[in-house]
Amino acid sequence: MSEIHEILEETAFLQCKVNGVSFEEEIHPSMSLLDLLREELKLTGTHMGCMTGHCGACTVSVDGRIIKSCITPAASVQRKKVITIEGLAGADDSLHPVQEAFCEASGFQCGYCAPGMVFSTVELLNEHPDPSDAQIRKALTGNLCRCTGYQSIVRSVRQAANQKTASGDHSE
Amino acid sequence: MSLRVQYARPLNVDQTVALLGELSSGAVIIAGGQELMPFINYGRVSPSVLVDISGLKDLQNIETSDDGLSIGALTVHRDIQINPLINEIAPLLAHAALQIGGGRQVHNQGTIGGNIVAMHPLYDIIPALLVLDAEIEITSQQGSRIVSMADLINESNHKMGTHAVLTRVLIGNSPAGQGWGYEKLKITDGCYGSANAAATVCLAEDGQVQSVRLAIGAVTEKILNLSEDLATFLPASPDADLDSRIAGIVESAVEQPLSDQQGHGEYRRAMAGVVARKAFHQALDMARQDMALRERM
Ligand SMILES: Cc1cc2nc3c(=O)[nH]c(=O)nc-3n(C[C@H](O)[C@H](O)[C@H](O)COP(=O)(O)OP(=O)(O)OC[C@H]3O[C@@H](n4cnc5c(N)ncnc54)[C@H](O)[C@@H]3O)c2cc1C
Ligand code: FES
Ligand code: FES
Repeated sequence: MSEIHEILEETAFLQCKVNGVSFEEEIHPSMSLLDLLREELKLTGTHMGCMTGHCGACTVSVDGRIIKSCITPAASVQRKKVITIEGLAGADDSLHPVQEAFCEASGFQCGYCAPGMVFSTVELLNEHPDPSDAQIRKALTGNLCRCTGYQSIVRSVRQAANQKTASGDHSE
Repeated sequence: MSLRVQYARPLNVDQTVALLGELSSGAVIIAGGQELMPFINYGRVSPSVLVDISGLKDLQNIETSDDGLSIGALTVHRDIQINPLINEIAPLLAHAALQIGGGRQVHNQGTIGGNIVAMHPLYDIIPALLVLDAEIEITSQQGSRIVSMADLINESNHKMGTHAVLTRVLIGNSPAGQGWGYEKLKITDGCYGSANAAATVCLAEDGQVQSVRLAIGAVTEKILNLSEDLATFLPASPDADLDSRIAGIVESAVEQPLSDQQGHGEYRRAMAGVVARKAFHQALDMARQDMALRERM
């Protein structure tokens, strides 16, 4: 057998940060990031809706960009920074302004779609602090909601944008 | 999740192809995972070895030379959409990447290489690359070869993903004054198309249509590359006659239309002609505007 086989492992070594906390462990090579977060780290705020990449309930941020954790291999976040919905809130457990806006404008009913809706809004407002309705709807396309009919979600995003503009905060 | 899977995280392309060359069947490359993970999650694909290339930095860059663009296979859809070089040299590709479904999350994680290797009829990248006359660099233990996108869609045994790596996508500079269009017929913004068309048009000085390149996706199992079929009656005047010829060629090229959640076969065949004409007209309008601009200068 040639040397190249030596890079074959029975498990994948993963070193990353989740909500600022270091994670270092051998994991199953085909484990999804969603399973790592929910099963290993018990971060159950990241929801499982489909495991096919369609619903968006499993959305998290990796190195500042949102992804669907169910179809992202956990092993691929090697040396990256993962933020889940739990990590979006402030250190003192205060809600992120986008979460506040969703609460105020009734953007959640059952809340299953919340991680995707909130993270998609955060990414949108980072790029477009004052988005058009079309931009809002486009930014939400990766997420399905069974409850709200989307109108209150669009209103929540608008409210979050208004608050952000009013507070003069254009950064994340 | 399958029970036993071996895993490798090669450091570079050389190591990747050496490993793939040594392993018997069952090894599968994983890049963004956006295509593969749904199958793995549901046990429909159980690779015995996962070769994770997601960390290979040399496949993540976008470069230009006098010949045009060279895009690393691991470039994600989002970077294709916003990269200034791609927007300047191949805006059609940036636009096609914007049409991809699944939302921003998929755009941030799905790679151009994975999209091409999947050779999925509903995907948006290949039609754009066909009309841009793109070439693909494929690397295996035997070395690298460059094959046109047009030839690649006819290669049933390209071995990419199991024995070879798609390393780069090469796009030449477009002829001056070329217009482009992309039309995706879809029910919602986040979904697959029921019929997709990519087109480029070049006009002669007298306003005649000199060349048209056209590709149709989401209608047949194999993406249709119709550029040669159209060449037979060019140059031609851009009139209603040309429109109906284009629609005619497209509809007769659709032998066995797909019938799935995106619509029934006969509908797809009819819509193939419609999106073809729309994409052609977008490209024609752009080429005309370009010509008018040049005349004024
Ligand atoms: C909900 C959803 C909606 C989508 N909608 C669309 C859409 O509308 N249009 C569209 O075009 N796409 C769509 N996609 C598909 C997505 O764009 C592709 O799946 C993605 O680009 C594949 O890239 P990846 O890196 O994630 O591939 P992976 O899943 O990592 O790999 C896909 C395949 O390619 C092989 N592979 C990957 N990279 C290489 C390489 N460099 N060399 C050799 N083999 C390789 C793998 O072995 C595997 O067989 C959608 C996906 C989802 C989840
Ligand atoms: S659980 Fe990930 S998209 Fe549905
Ligand atoms: S609030 Fe229930 S799924 Fe969106």
